[in-house]
Amino acid sequence: MIEAIRARVAEKLKELDGVIGLRRSPEGVAPYLFHTEEELAELVLEPRYPMSSVVRLLQKRHPAARFGVVARGCDVRALVEMAKRNQVDPERLYIIGFTCTAEEAEACHCADPAPNVTGWPQAEVIGTPVAAGSPNPMVAEYAQMPRAERWAFWQQQFKKCIKCYGCRNICPVCFCESCALEDPLWVEPGVMAPPFPMYHMIKAMHMSNRCVACRQCELTCPAHIPLTVLYDLIRQDVENLMGYVPGADLEALPPVPLTLADAPIDLDVE
Amino acid sequence: MDYKNVRTTCIYCGCGCTLNVQVADGEVVGILPCPEHPISRGSLCIKGWNAAEFATHPDRLRVPLIRREGGFEEASWEEALALVAERLGAIRDDSGPDSIGFFTSAKCTNEENYLLQKLARAVIKTNNVDHCARL
Amino acid sequence: MVASHVLTGKERGAKIIVIDPREIQMSRLADIYLRPWPGTDVAWLNGIMNVIINEGLADTAFVEERTEGFDELRQVVMEYPPEKVEQIAGIPADGLRAAARMYAQTKPAAILYAMGITQHTTGTDNVKTCANLAMLTGNVGVPGSGVNPLRGQNNVQGACDLGGLPNVYPGYQVVTIPDVKAKYEAAWGVEGMSGKLGLTVTEMIEAADKGDVRAIYVMGENPMLSDPDLNHARHCLEALDFLVVQDIFMTETAALADVVLPGASYLEKDGTFTNTDRRIQRVRKAVEAPGQAKADWEIICDLARAMGAPGFEFASPAAVMEEVVVTTPIYGGVSYDRLEAVEGLQWPVPTADHPGTPYLHKGKFSRGVGKFNPVQYQAAAELPDEEYPLILTTGRMMFHFHTGTMTRRTEKLEQEAPEPYVEIHPDDAQRIGLNGGKRVRVSSRRGAIEVAVRVTSTIRPGVVFIPFHYVEGPANALTHAALDPIAGIPEFKVCAVRVEPV
Repeated sequence: MIEAIRARVAEKLKELDGVIGLRRSPEGVAPYLFHTEEELAELVLEPRYPMSSVVRLLQKRHPAARFGVVARGCDVRALVEMAKRNQVDPERLYIIGFTCTAEEAEACHCADPAPNVTGWPQAEVIGTPVAAGSPNPMVAEYAQMPRAERWAFWQQQFKKCIKCYGCRNICPVCFCESCALEDPLWVEPGVMAPPFPMYHMIKAMHMSNRCVACRQCELTCPAHIPLTVLYDLIRQDVENLMGYVPGADLEALPPVPLTLADAPIDLDVE
Repeated sequence: MDYKNVRTTCIYCGCGCTLNVQVADGEVVGILPCPEHPISRGSLCIKGWNAAEFATHPDRLRVPLIRREGGFEEASWEEALALVAERLGAIRDDSGPDSIGFFTSAKCTNEENYLLQKLARAVIKTNNVDHCARL
Repeated sequence: MVASHVLTGKERGAKIIVIDPREIQMSRLADIYLRPWPGTDVAWLNGIMNVIINEGLADTAFVEERTEGFDELRQVVMEYPPEKVEQIAGIPADGLRAAARMYAQTKPAAILYAMGITQHTTGTDNVKTCANLAMLTGNVGVPGSGVNPLRGQNNVQGACDLGGLPNVYPGYQVVTIPDVKAKYEAAWGVEGMSGKLGLTVTEMIEAADKGDVRAIYVMGENPMLSDPDLNHARHCLEALDFLVVQDIFMTETAALADVVLPGASYLEKDGTFTNTDRRIQRVRKAVEAPGQAKADWEIICDLARAMGAPGFEFASPAAVMEEVVVTTPIYGGVSYDRLEAVEGLQWPVPTADHPGTPYLHKGKFSRGVGKFNPVQYQAAAELPDEEYPLILTTGRMMFHFHTGTMTRRTEKLEQEAPEPYVEIHPDDAQRIGLNGGKRVRVSSRRGAIEVAVRVTSTIRPGVVFIPFHYVEGPANALTHAALDPIAGIPEFKVCAVRVEPV
């Protein structure tokens, strides 16, 4: 797989301004902008980093550049939601998607371990899709709990939060320039653990029509809060009530308006 | 059009979390945690996530300063270091090596701490060397 | 991030006991939380050992095989039955018994502490008592056990390791031993180095007042906010003939200097830091320093040249490390090549093929057998009285680092915690007659500050807490410069204050 990917990246480097991927240097693995074929011996696929956020960062810095990205299924799902919100430009991006292994799919309880590049102007997928991972057992356990117990469960979990904002910082679809989590109107600053349930409910509400289940938030949480349980449940509700699956389809519009112009209210703006 | 991550160690507290400093075209553009690191394990606290911002703060000192009548004045490195060398030498000659003290730093690197205590012990010849470990 | 590892332990079934005058976040996740009076640590630690010995919970095999001085320990701790400890430390006797049983019966068990144990006039006694407790239960030299001090600053460990102390050369080699001095004179190619102990930071500042120390060279420290009794510290620094400060910002200390030299931040230089578990890790240059600012290692080498001193011709920090390892046995096997690995190297690492040492005292203590050092409880140097009826304890918070030089210039940190405050219990707030007032004046025998007030039951009645990061409400204007007689550490965790509404 890695050799096939390196070969395709080498090919695309001839026409692109660089390809974003993971590089293993002597000091370790991290995201990198590859420019030359010689560097590709250092291209690797693990561990997980928010590659879609690097695409956004570099496209914004270089408004005319055309980049490629080596991306997993979840990276592509994130790019889908970002594209809908004008955070990445599909016309200037070449996606070299690759399928996750069965072990990776299982570890992430991933429902969709292969990139879906339908609708992307320039994209390809390398590898054979594997079956979905088994669902997260914590979600089913939680669903069995009575209401009061659910409240107590989250209360106990969020007591551990150290307000690092890591779940937001690493989230590929959290990109607002001014964040409600930092607005003293909504969340009293400097309180540790942050006020329950406001801090985490705001984040959860904002994730409702955009969480692509990449699991980066849970991986980076120093307090080991099972955030994907919360977001999985919200994803289920949004799918059941509104028929929307974030990240699944570049063309489908989210159920919540993206701009004020789309809002079903009379704004009467001069 | 360059982008890379430089792996380094956080400056806030003794945990020693690894930071991936995102550098684009010679400019720090963000920090990512490091999943491979056995202590931080892909996590950071709020200070680690924001450990780059102060470095580009407009208050950064950029030029050596010498106090003259009426306040600080900018000086060249040569002038500033010559003044320090001359004054330290004169005070040592007048009042002995133990009339000079050195504060090394819990925020500076191992190599820098080594060099400053070497300067104190081998050049000035005093053991008046300490830092704020106790504070 | 250490707490993150504690949580991993809890997920695997570990128990958590928190003993702290403040109800910290971890105490809400703990199996047992006890709230002592500040400054009573020896008493309640002895009380825990009293219960362990009396209930037959000591690790007798470990005590017999690997320690000495048990009888003396037993004699001292027998004077601390839980009911007596309750009188001294304010911890309920039953709570202390429960904690003693849980700690002794859960193996392995680790003790984690920070400055709450060390910043006392009895700091050394407190640490010895922690070590006694760990040895009594066989919790030394085994992964997941031990006495684990958590360092407050990123490179406190390394600054100590590399000789940034008045009594030792790099690697804790004592300056008063003639052979050690001779070794360094030979290594550095000089003669006539000092064979007597130097002064600590607090002593140097005191000596400045008397004129015994006339010049101080400060590299990246800010004693004008971190030292106890700041009004006095300022007076002393102003008495100096010559003050040099090397820093990245115009700190409160730099503002008093005769010469200020602009240093590079960690993002602008190469080097190494050593963290709290003795792990030597790389610092890598990411960008160029602003203006004419230079890395501190370059400045020192340039200064040595300006003084005409040889032995400072280094091309890079890697070259400095090559010199360090020659005379520093605990770092003997360190090289920048080996430090490329993300996990770094944990000292002692005596040779190039030594894998490093994740935990100490495995199978054998450094001194052979472990010696119990029984200690009697002594009260703090300044206790509350009618005039100053409350205990002040100072400390840190998550959002700021030390004197705030960097974190207070970081928007996302400053917006969380923009101003100094005092934490006070609702009972005390009522007694003082705060009546919902937002600001108070806190005074001690050394000085007074005005700060915002946070009324909270997470603090013990009779105790107030102020973080020390803030220049506009410096907790250290109040603190007491009483020192531990051995370690020279000031008693930041206990002094007497009065709080009044403004």
